[in-house]
Amino acid sequence: MEGLVPREFRALTHWRTLPFTLAVTLGFGVLVLLPLALVMGQAVMPGLIDHADLTVSLARLQTTLSDPRSLTAILHTIVLGGLAAGCATALGFAYALMLARTDTPGRRLLAATPWLVFLTPAYLKALAWVLLMSPGGYLQQFGLLSDGASDAFFGLGGLVFVHTLNLFPLAVFIVGSAMRGLGGEFEDAARTVGAASFGAWWRINLPLLAPAVALAFLAMFAEVASDFGLASTIARTSDFGLLTYAIYTATQNYPVDFPLAGSQALVLLAILSAVLLLDRTLRRQRSLRLITGRSRPARIYRLGPWRWAVCALAALVSLLSVGLPLGAIVLRALARTLSQGLVAHNITWRWIAQALTPGQEANLALVRSLGFAALTALISGVLALLLAWRLDLGGRILRNAVLAVAMGAIAIPGVVMGLGFILTWDRLPGFADTGLYGTWPLLVLGYVSAALPYALVIVLGAIGQIAPSLHDAARLHGAGPVVRLARITVPLIASSLITAVLFVFVRTVFELPISQLLQPTAGGPAPVVIVRLFGNDDDGIGSALSLLAILATGGIAGAVWLAARGLGRHFWRNGVDSLGGMPGGR
Amino acid sequence: MPATPLVSRRTLLAAGAALAIPHIARAEPAPLVIYDALDFVQAAAHAFTAKTGLKVNLVEQGGTGGVLGKIAAEADRPQYDIVWLEGSAVMDRMAKSGVLGRHPDLVKAAGYTALGRKLAPADGAFCPTTVSTTGITVNTKKIPASAYPKTWTDLAHPDFAGVVAAKDPNLSGPAFQWLAGLFQTMGEAPAKALLLKVLSNKALSGLPSGGTVNKALLTGKAKLAITQDSATFAKIAAGEPLVSLYPGDGVVATPSSIGISSRTANLDVAKQFVRFVLSPEGQAAMKTGDDADFFFVPLIEGVTAKPGRTTDINFIVLNNDVAAAHEAEWKGWFRANFVP
Repeated sequence: MEGLVPREFRALTHWRTLPFTLAVTLGFGVLVLLPLALVMGQAVMPGLIDHADLTVSLARLQTTLSDPRSLTAILHTIVLGGLAAGCATALGFAYALMLARTDTPGRRLLAATPWLVFLTPAYLKALAWVLLMSPGGYLQQFGLLSDGASDAFFGLGGLVFVHTLNLFPLAVFIVGSAMRGLGGEFEDAARTVGAASFGAWWRINLPLLAPAVALAFLAMFAEVASDFGLASTIARTSDFGLLTYAIYTATQNYPVDFPLAGSQALVLLAILSAVLLLDRTLRRQRSLRLITGRSRPARIYRLGPWRWAVCALAALVSLLSVGLPLGAIVLRALARTLSQGLVAHNITWRWIAQALTPGQEANLALVRSLGFAALTALISGVLALLLAWRLDLGGRILRNAVLAVAMGAIAIPGVVMGLGFILTWDRLPGFADTGLYGTWPLLVLGYVSAALPYALVIVLGAIGQIAPSLHDAARLHGAGPVVRLARITVPLIASSLITAVLFVFVRTVFELPISQLLQPTAGGPAPVVIVRLFGNDDDGIGSALSLLAILATGGIAGAVWLAARGLGRHFWRNGVDSLGGMPGGR
Repeated sequence: MPATPLVSRRTLLAAGAALAIPHIARAEPAPLVIYDALDFVQAAAHAFTAKTGLKVNLVEQGGTGGVLGKIAAEADRPQYDIVWLEGSAVMDRMAKSGVLGRHPDLVKAAGYTALGRKLAPADGAFCPTTVSTTGITVNTKKIPASAYPKTWTDLAHPDFAGVVAAKDPNLSGPAFQWLAGLFQTMGEAPAKALLLKVLSNKALSGLPSGGTVNKALLTGKAKLAITQDSATFAKIAAGEPLVSLYPGDGVVATPSSIGISSRTANLDVAKQFVRFVLSPEGQAAMKTGDDADFFFVPLIEGVTAKPGRTTDINFIVLNNDVAAAHEAEWKGWFRANFVP
């Protein structure tokens, strides 16, 4: 009977798994689809929320598409997204390759760079680069920057530069994960039949890694499209209009222009769908299952004297992506005023002392944020695992559809998701009656909806590489679906799962739009306080608080990572018995 | 031998007490919820709680636009008891749309100065709590005192071409108050023509926050900025090389305004809070910080401003009806011309 049903629909039609699949899909729908639909739906149904009027009108969409400012913003978004995602993918690929496959000295230290970059939120990095590159900024005060270079920075070039340095960790995580799964046997096989090292990469490894590279590019394109940190600072002061900034201004008014914000968000979604479709058309091959549980460690390339040059380049990337921005924030946290710059009488400990004073609203907000983020990370990790597991069994159509929605959710600015949550949980009958709006559980749900697509992309990428033969072998040994999930899937993708959980944790501590729009009445999270300080030009205390938040978040994430690694090693040593001696256990 | 009960009587009593505690707690008035975008609200709320024992929860956004967006999204299911923002036109509009209730008794009872009386609507749609204005801030290291502009029209001088920064009235309450005030004093068409000359550099015009304007002025390309004077006084107190100028052709009063939701279930406490804010005691609490909004001109008799703050200003009072009626149109015009 099963054989008559295409694999694509098997998980949907199987009666035993149907309730579970429905529950998972419904949860995803309520958390991600419904809030987005309520905002974007107003682009074509302007009376949807205020008058419960379902009349379709394309007038606002047409206005958006015919307005020269909107068209410029759309063009800017596509150009910036493409260039920044391309550069960040290339840099992330090279960095992942350097870490995984070369004997570059100091790799352990350099491996921390992507995480450190990721620990600093985009709005903080944007502020740091403004402090560094402004005509009277820190680099000019050090005599390291000419007027011409400063002028050139505030434009497309500077935006691509900062986005690349900000986003390449995502490519390192996604491509690096695929490189680990790739192992060395495919390349070794090519070399045994005479392929040169370059040829083996070009003909074998690159095509095998192409899905991960494309996924990284798409995720980063979506990130750039939805970014607000740089759009409201460097892009705004470069007169470089972007869609996300246009959406933001449409939502900051009374009444909110939902049809305008919705139509601009729809345009963003359309751009991303086009990129996704293009990718599907260009790469029509079936995805390959690489993790067999038997892969041999990949060959490490000996770079000889070149290893020092590679090390220097990687150190330069670390300096530009971590050292300089964090250095600027530290300097600002120690400076009394902005204009007096780096002179002895302008140094003060006041901001640091203020940030460290216990019992302040800002400290309480940070503690709350760490708690909310931990909860969000756990919930997102579990949901992403269950959803990815069902989707993987469900086949390509369902998998691609959910992946498209997840990418779309990443590309839609957080302010749209936040407003969608207000419309759902404060205005929609049934949801509004739950009384969740204005409480911390709804904030956590909002965080989960914003983070779930990321967690899903990371986990789905890893789960999709597990060879079906492992599950078949386990089924032959009598293992049910839950046992297979717990004993085959989770151990094999544990590293990616932990990455996803920590990724969500770090991202959530610094998440801004959802924090602002869904902050509980009983006490808001840290990003609201920090960004308010920056908005009011209280950069000194804002920078000091940000550093404290980075240290606390990094400390917790690092401790969890070390603990997980220790547990993993313990599990690996004792894994044969617990896996029942199945082949996938080694 | 009697059977041991599954749950002992003591456990049941403890469970009952635990269940009852939240109900006892609910007998207290619910915390007052305030949506705001002002620096001194936290200080005022702490002082109010210290005096009355009544709890206040603040939901603070980065700017006026953020608060308005949240209020608009909540529509007829507001979660706030009080809104406290800068500007009067937008409060007037919210009162007209029924979002804010009218409480003339609060306005009548306040010990307003003459300016306060002019700014407070008699129907009690909102209560002005402090006032400031938007003038011209100059970086004294970039422009000599002899070249300071004396009127808004002076900003069109070729020496200032491309170096004037300004906030976006779409995102900032004080910036809209300034735009509406300029249209009122100069006439809409001449004011628009002037702004098209003055704000010729889009990289500096219509910036999203006071922070971006100040950075442009202190370390960026801007030499002057059209900004709120309270922010300038806070920066001067911190040691920045700035001066606040008041153009001779008039500056518009920008009150911080407090209003009560028309659907609040906490009206008595909300009114008690507004009365406290308008008292000398509440006003004293609102001067206890170093941020921009603490540097206000008082509107309550007997209250003095923070040291260093200019108070001798010839304020123009905005016609809220006209400004509110044209708000969307004027904001749209500004966005179309000065925001990329």
